[in-house]
Amino acid sequence: MSAGYKTSIVCVLAFAWLGPGVSRTAGQTPDLSGFWERKDDVGSGNFGGTLERIPHAALKPEVIEANRQAAERAARGEVVSIASKWCGTNLYPFFMQHSAAWDIVQTQDEVVQVPEVHTFARHIYLDGRKHPDPEMLQPTVNGHAVGHWEGDTLVVDSVGFIGGGGTPGGGRTSPKSHLVERFRLLDGGKRLSVTFTWDDPSIFLKPHTYELIYYKSEPGTYAFEEYCHADDPAQSGSVVEPKQK
Amino acid sequence: MNSRVWLASALLTLPVFGQPNVSGFWELRFDSRNVPPALLTSAAAGEDREVQFKLDMKALRWCHFLGVPYVMEGSAIDILQNRNGKEIVIASSLRSPARHIYTDGRGHVNPDTFDPVSNGHSIGKWDGETLLVDTVGFSTEGLTEIPGGGHRTPDSHLVERYRLMEGGKRLSVVFTWEDTKQFTKPHTYEFRYYKSPKGTEARELDCSASDEGRAKFLTEPPKN
Repeated sequence: MSAGYKTSIVCVLAFAWLGPGVSRTAGQTPDLSGFWERKDDVGSGNFGGTLERIPHAALKPEVIEANRQAAERAARGEVVSIASKWCGTNLYPFFMQHSAAWDIVQTQDEVVQVPEVHTFARHIYLDGRKHPDPEMLQPTVNGHAVGHWEGDTLVVDSVGFIGGGGTPGGGRTSPKSHLVERFRLLDGGKRLSVTFTWDDPSIFLKPHTYELIYYKSEPGTYAFEEYCHADDPAQSGSVVEPKQK
Repeated sequence: MNSRVWLASALLTLPVFGQPNVSGFWELRFDSRNVPPALLTSAAAGEDREVQFKLDMKALRWCHFLGVPYVMEGSAIDILQNRNGKEIVIASSLRSPARHIYTDGRGHVNPDTFDPVSNGHSIGKWDGETLLVDTVGFSTEGLTEIPGGGHRTPDSHLVERYRLMEGGKRLSVVFTWEDTKQFTKPHTYEFRYYKSPKGTEARELDCSASDEGRAKFLTEPPKN
């Protein structure tokens, strides 16, 4: 029996087993794959405004004070983001709230999110593995993410962030941050809801939860490479480095 | 084994019915490369190596994207073959964009509207057990040196052939570069990757352009 003939039998039997009307290509879980992007769906009139309706995080007093001081420095004209000047790697969850699209590629054992902004692809392991022992866990930009399906919802649990990133609602990330995300398709796959819940006793007084909605990009969408050259005077001169103490 | 369980298992191992599954982490070892010298044009052979060295070190020092072909050998790669058959992504541990290989039947983007990038624009299709990937639209960003000689340029055209070996333990990738300004005939070499153990974790090899010690190391001559 040829391999192709065997494959045909498997396909026919599998179709019969799954039954008609099953549109999922393999397994029983939704297909999240494709390019996703945010839109101004709250009528704010500008892209930055799309985050304004996210509830303010309940922050610890020292974080509120640090945010106040940063705002003061910015008001004085000191741009506080050295990361922009040096093209630092964008820390998670930056690309999830950026205007640039990101791409999901999905296999049975892994989901990868591929952003266009300069950072690493985010690997979400679905093969049943656990987080590494905290003693052995190497903090990373995207943290260590494991996922599982609860019905039609992909639940992703992440730890091991290097910290220093910002969350919508005024929060920050730290090496102690713990993130739970719930990915769920809406409108027959035209939109994707992601609910984020950040838990970090060094930043938040209580878990910080918000939802972002993403829109499926048009078929045929292709990825850009959003490069950043710190040796380009247009880039390095775009920010003023704070004076060192 | 229950027949339904067997059928489900068979299905789950196939990204799309009948296609080999090249997904997973793959790494090169000391015996993974068969790279003959490229036959270079006189112009390419006469290029000033010092100039190219400085360009490469500048790209490293300033954390530019590295691009193809370096991302295929600079670290382990994680290949994800989307289960709907429409795209394959190759992610590396380098702070350089992942490669997107579109397998949904589209053609290349119109070069008049496409901004060249370090990985180029890749489309793929299956020819039996072999994945054929065709890439154009390269920029000069990053590390452009091609194994065996020559450089990636905006005129380069790359064809790759991916084929599983030894029951899926090895992955052969045959690279063929065409570029009339670089090569007198197409330049072909082969890498044979080893499948990484189950449970392999992705790494993030980050890059800091503001690290002064790193910058000096990469831009100043080594001291005796």
